[in-house]
Amino acid sequence: MGVSEVFAEFGDVYLQSLLSTWLMTAVCFAGGLALGILATVLRVSPIKPLRVAGDIYVQLFRNIPTVSLLVIFVYALPYLGLMLSYRTCLLACVILVVSSFASENFMSGINAIGAGQIEAARSIGLSFVQIIRLIVIPQSLRTTVLPMTNLLIATLLTTAMGSQVPLTPPELTGMVNYVNSRSVAGISAFVLSAICYAGTSVVIGFLGNKLDEKVRIVR
Amino acid sequence: MSIQTSMPIISMRHVDKHFGQLHVLRDINLDVAKGEVVVLIGPSGSGKSTLCRTINRLETIDSGEILFEGKPLPQEGKELAAMRAEIGMVFQSFNLFAHKTILDNVTMGPVEVLHRPRKEAEAEAMELLDRVGVAAQAHKVPAQLSGGQQQRVAIARSLAMHPKAMLFDEPTSALDPEMINEVLDVMVELAGMGMTMVVVTHEMNFARRVSNRVVFMADGQIVEQNTPDEFFDHPKSERAKDFLDSIKGH
Ligand SMILES: Nc1ncnc2c1ncn2[C@@H]1O[C@H](COP(=O)(O)OP(=O)(O)OP(=O)(O)O)[C@@H](O)[C@H]1O
Ligand SMILES: [Mg+2]
Repeated sequence: MGVSEVFAEFGDVYLQSLLSTWLMTAVCFAGGLALGILATVLRVSPIKPLRVAGDIYVQLFRNIPTVSLLVIFVYALPYLGLMLSYRTCLLACVILVVSSFASENFMSGINAIGAGQIEAARSIGLSFVQIIRLIVIPQSLRTTVLPMTNLLIATLLTTAMGSQVPLTPPELTGMVNYVNSRSVAGISAFVLSAICYAGTSVVIGFLGNKLDEKVRIVR
Repeated sequence: MSIQTSMPIISMRHVDKHFGQLHVLRDINLDVAKGEVVVLIGPSGSGKSTLCRTINRLETIDSGEILFEGKPLPQEGKELAAMRAEIGMVFQSFNLFAHKTILDNVTMGPVEVLHRPRKEAEAEAMELLDRVGVAAQAHKVPAQLSGGQQQRVAIARSLAMHPKAMLFDEPTSALDPEMINEVLDVMVELAGMGMTMVVVTHEMNFARRVSNRVVFMADGQIVEQNTPDEFFDHPKSERAKDFLDSIKGH
């Protein structure tokens, strides 16, 4: 079967899986950013045990292959009495991994701010929380658009981990198995998925560049 | 002068501080009266910046005490932030908020710390920017301004908090020579209006024109202090004589 034939026969299910991939990517990226901000706040807090906890968190989830994490979630958590759906396991794993990389990006953004601005903020009487909210988060968000764009693309590709567990609807990579178990599409099914990933990535990259040009901080 | 006799607004008593093994402040005793302008001078590494920074607790101290308006500096938290809001600080490297416009740099404190309505804060910020001569730049970001302009904005940002005293740590030493005076002029005007100021600077003309007292530091100690004319014309200690020779040489 050629790509066009696969598309003709499975086009609508492909569309569904593409949407599923997009949705998971969005959820994982948003969740990852939120958790990443939280971890980063811990890592820069004035309280040492919190800083250590933040560092451990990031080292842990940055250095475990996502697939191992998924195996742990799917097979080990039930022993601890925690039964999560496959989709929840997948989302949780990807969010944890993404958040650790997001935190690393934020840290480099924070290092670019410089101690001087923080001291200036303290000397007009801003509190720790205000400094985080008004100076640190806005500046590090705006200086990390490009690395975050890369992270968004990496998130998109990592959702392919969903092919390792049964999902309905499947995401783009799981879709390949689905198609190949119902026809002899072979490599064509992969090509169609690859086109979807690549197309999405190109658009993300383009928008990321545009956004960066707009919000980048001149120093 | 009458200001010498009134209650000090800043009072440092037997202040000691170390950075690791390094003894950077040694038994510092210094009173600054309301409305007084004190210039801190001394060789590099003598502890001028550190002294200045202990006054609003950007640096903590090991022993001794620092009083602001007769009360010990709060250790941390809300009280410390509230005290810092009353003491302006101007840094050598300006330290404007890079992601904010000039106007927003000036209104951030009043709006976020003093909870002033934004409109009102903006109106006052524009007046302040006008006073320091950068009102036309209000909607630019810091990187678009010259060093002298940025430093004047930094002064306006401090003034917007209606500080009771201001600390300046070498406010002109990162500036090109032609911009030094535009910043000093603003400081002279402030002094003329009765602002209490502690200024780390090597600008002798400024010290002579506006300061009430020059405090000379070396090796973490206050070695001598006097009126500017007395100090510059008749330094008593060898350290001060050597130091003045070295800066006059330039
Ligand atoms: N955060 C720090 N950690 C360790 N040592 C420090 C720190 N800050 C300053 N020092 C050291 O403390 C001493 C006093 O420094 P300080 O900056 O107060 O001197 P200064 O009189 O302002 O000098 P300069 O004229 O060069 O600005 C110096 O030897 C300096 O190297
Ligand atoms: Mg210094």
